[in-house]
Amino acid sequence: MAQAMRPQMMGARVSRVEDPRLLSGQARYLDDIQVPGMLEIAFVRSPHAAADIIYMDLEAARQYPGVYAVLTYDECPVWLWDKATYEVGQPVLAHGEVQYVGQPVVAIVAEDRYVAEDAAELVRIDYRPRTPVLNMRDALHDQPHRVHAHTPNVFFHQEYQTPGFDEAFRQAPHHLSATFRTNRQTAVTIEPRGTAAMIDPASGRLTVYASTQSPHRMREDISRLLDIPEHLVRVVVPEVGGGFGMKANCYPEDIVVARVAQMLRRPVKWVSDRTESLLSDVHGRDDIHDVEVAFDADGRIIAIRDHLMADGGAYPAYPFSGAVGETSLAARVLTGPYDIPHLATVIDCTYSNKTPLGAYRGVWGPIASFIQEGVVDRVARYLGLDPAEVRRRNLIHDDQFPYRNAAGMIYDRGSYRESFEDALALIGYDEFRRQQAMDRQQGRYRGIGISVFVEPTAMASSEAGSVGYESCTIRIEPSGRVTAALGLGPTGQGHETTMAQLIADELGVNLEDIVILHGDTDSAPYGGGTGGSRSGPIGGGAALVAGRQMRERLIKYAAHLLEAGEEDIELGHGEAWVAGVPERSISIRTIAETAYTNVRRIPEGLPIGLEVTARYLPKRPVSFSNGTHVAEVEVDVRTGIVRVVRYAVVNDCGRLINPTIVEGQIQGGVAQGIGAVLLEALNYDENGQLVTTSLLDYLLPESTDVPQMIIQHRETPSDGEGGIKGMGEGSLIASPAAVANAISDALAPFDAFVDTLPVTPDMVLAMVQRKGA
Amino acid sequence: MADERSVVELTVNGRPYRVEVSPRWSLADVLRHRLGLTGTHVGCEQGVCGACTVWLDGEPVRSCLLFAVQAAGHEITTVEGITPAEGLSPLQEAFHRHHALQCGYCTPGMLLTAEALLRRNPAPDEATVREALTGNLCRCTGYQFIVDAVLSMRPSGGED
Repeated sequence: MAQAMRPQMMGARVSRVEDPRLLSGQARYLDDIQVPGMLEIAFVRSPHAAADIIYMDLEAARQYPGVYAVLTYDECPVWLWDKATYEVGQPVLAHGEVQYVGQPVVAIVAEDRYVAEDAAELVRIDYRPRTPVLNMRDALHDQPHRVHAHTPNVFFHQEYQTPGFDEAFRQAPHHLSATFRTNRQTAVTIEPRGTAAMIDPASGRLTVYASTQSPHRMREDISRLLDIPEHLVRVVVPEVGGGFGMKANCYPEDIVVARVAQMLRRPVKWVSDRTESLLSDVHGRDDIHDVEVAFDADGRIIAIRDHLMADGGAYPAYPFSGAVGETSLAARVLTGPYDIPHLATVIDCTYSNKTPLGAYRGVWGPIASFIQEGVVDRVARYLGLDPAEVRRRNLIHDDQFPYRNAAGMIYDRGSYRESFEDALALIGYDEFRRQQAMDRQQGRYRGIGISVFVEPTAMASSEAGSVGYESCTIRIEPSGRVTAALGLGPTGQGHETTMAQLIADELGVNLEDIVILHGDTDSAPYGGGTGGSRSGPIGGGAALVAGRQMRERLIKYAAHLLEAGEEDIELGHGEAWVAGVPERSISIRTIAETAYTNVRRIPEGLPIGLEVTARYLPKRPVSFSNGTHVAEVEVDVRTGIVRVVRYAVVNDCGRLINPTIVEGQIQGGVAQGIGAVLLEALNYDENGQLVTTSLLDYLLPESTDVPQMIIQHRETPSDGEGGIKGMGEGSLIASPAAVANAISDALAPFDAFVDTLPVTPDMVLAMVQRKGA
Repeated sequence: MADERSVVELTVNGRPYRVEVSPRWSLADVLRHRLGLTGTHVGCEQGVCGACTVWLDGEPVRSCLLFAVQAAGHEITTVEGITPAEGLSPLQEAFHRHHALQCGYCTPGMLLTAEALLRRNPAPDEATVREALTGNLCRCTGYQFIVDAVLSMRPSGGED
């Protein structure tokens, strides 16, 4: 019976319990919430990048049949503004001026969205346009002027340098410099953002249905911003159709919707259309890094200097600016998996007249690994060495863990060298190099790109982690069935399955006897939510700790009721029994009946009922996952079209809860990485108009853009609960660098290096022609 | 209500409906908000993402680009219509088995596109499957497990 003590569900390829409702069209997303009397909102948004509002004529809209209210700042004077951190906040509806195209100015509340949009067209606003601030390098110097007159454009500045940097850098025999750039992107969840709110008629409490990753923080934000006591606000997160960091913020529209429900005492809803999404969902990336590297004749990298810049947009997204995350985290992980002793970084985050910058999956990662891996490949080409060999010479050695990187981050143990060598073997690296030489002679340009990555996960603070811990309440019902509630905010990651797997092992009950609740602040214990690759290691850790506490209680019951020693009790398949004497058994159901209804038989010292709440705060402030991605591309040098033809991943995120779910996360992140390198860019014109406002202009990867991937796992456990490390972002941290390096490798005969993402066909042609001419 | 209404008769999932609509209402909105068939999802209203895919007389169409009045007299099939009364269809089971969905928002459209392909061509090769799915965007899965699920429906059980 010893096998009952071993985890059976953790590590198993369990099919998800979420799937049947999603597959049959029964899942309830935000726009599926329809309540009698529900009104809908349309927003009038700024058509200018920067302008003063001279005059608003709202009369025709107010008089339009079916319109219930028209709100401006005067009716909803609320600011998304963390005054402790930023000099600037955003009014939820524009106040006297607009600072980016798409900024909400007026809210129209009507009987349905069609009517609301009719009325929105009747709103007349006179603007006096100003010259917009659009160029990051100019904005740094307050050129052409300040975005916000009372404060400089640079809103975050930080400098760091390892002791002895200058000397080490100067004395190095070789130096190279390059500028790396990522354009603006956004998450583009297929389900757009949305919010609904209503007053509960019985209690008078405000219920907000929010498409968010962080239910408790949304409750806090609404409570604080609208000055409603927290216990009178309930946030319910319905099914969420993707988040990727973009749904970790509190947005102006969320507050307006809640305010309208309060004002009108009517249920009300707003759902973004796609154009609004591209204009108003937080944007991501938008980095410029001026990088210099110093190295020796063997290709060992001695020092990196980087001026990191990011465009935060017009206002800090609430409650955090993505620009600060992009840069400050990149500065701390810029040396990646390499043992590079010296680092000097200068960070500048600037305002502009663009949409606020927030989180997009892998915040900091794509630019940092693009630089880190781009630097290695530049060093290799400069010295005439193989890029794989230069990586071998710089990778952290196994005996260096725990490793402190040049920025002071502590890496826990990983499989850096093993995963690297495994990935090269998977793709057939040496064979590829032989073939590549022959292909080039025939005018075929194929390239291979390596990306060895580190992924800081389960951080004490991250975009969704308003708190560094997570909580889990487990209740065994009188029937013996299990209800477990967590503060997570899943957006497709399958937490109802993975958390149940962990709890099933601890309690010895069947998976189908467990239901996982999340996303309702009335039932879930206070938690940070989902983001920053924290749900597996921290949420899972909370599930394990709560499960273990409940297990101990079940064992006490079983020992008492079976008249055996606690050390002899085993649990499994909904039963408890005496080790070696399986006929001396009792079902969890009978134990639960005892705990609730036959309370005189409860063992001394135990409370009535079976309910525990546990909170788990990891001991380490961060745990590092690692791995290697290798991409093979073919570049058509006549058309500039790049095709990703093969892709291999070796991933190490500690102990796996569900390998299939991990593979799904990796494949999705790689597809997003391919989009980042080849397709996705939010482009502004010289007037600050966003010109990519449909999915015909902002291109996402399609099924034919993504190759079959080969994925292998390694498991180097963390020393946190369950040995779990996070993994939600690693694939999008690693993949842009792999694909970009593969293109650079393919174009090596043209002396080209990719330095800007995305790489569009015209950019490829320019690289080819520069040399060809 | 500012605009006039007309009565449309259409068949959805084999059931006849008589519904009063505004001529400007999209088929997606009528299916979702008038008939309560919320399995059809709206992702872009620009005809690009494919989340709103339904069948019009058995052929996949974008219900965000059709007005409900254009569907008058036609047979519409939504994800609810390809779901058996009990359990899941073989293709839905394959999606479940292959982890072909994460957030689930694109899934109904994917299913309708893939099911239409398989009815036309019961043994497509991988390139054909990928080509057929190009009109349905998925942001979560990277498509591989979706392609695997569709390929597993071939009589050969997924082997070429």
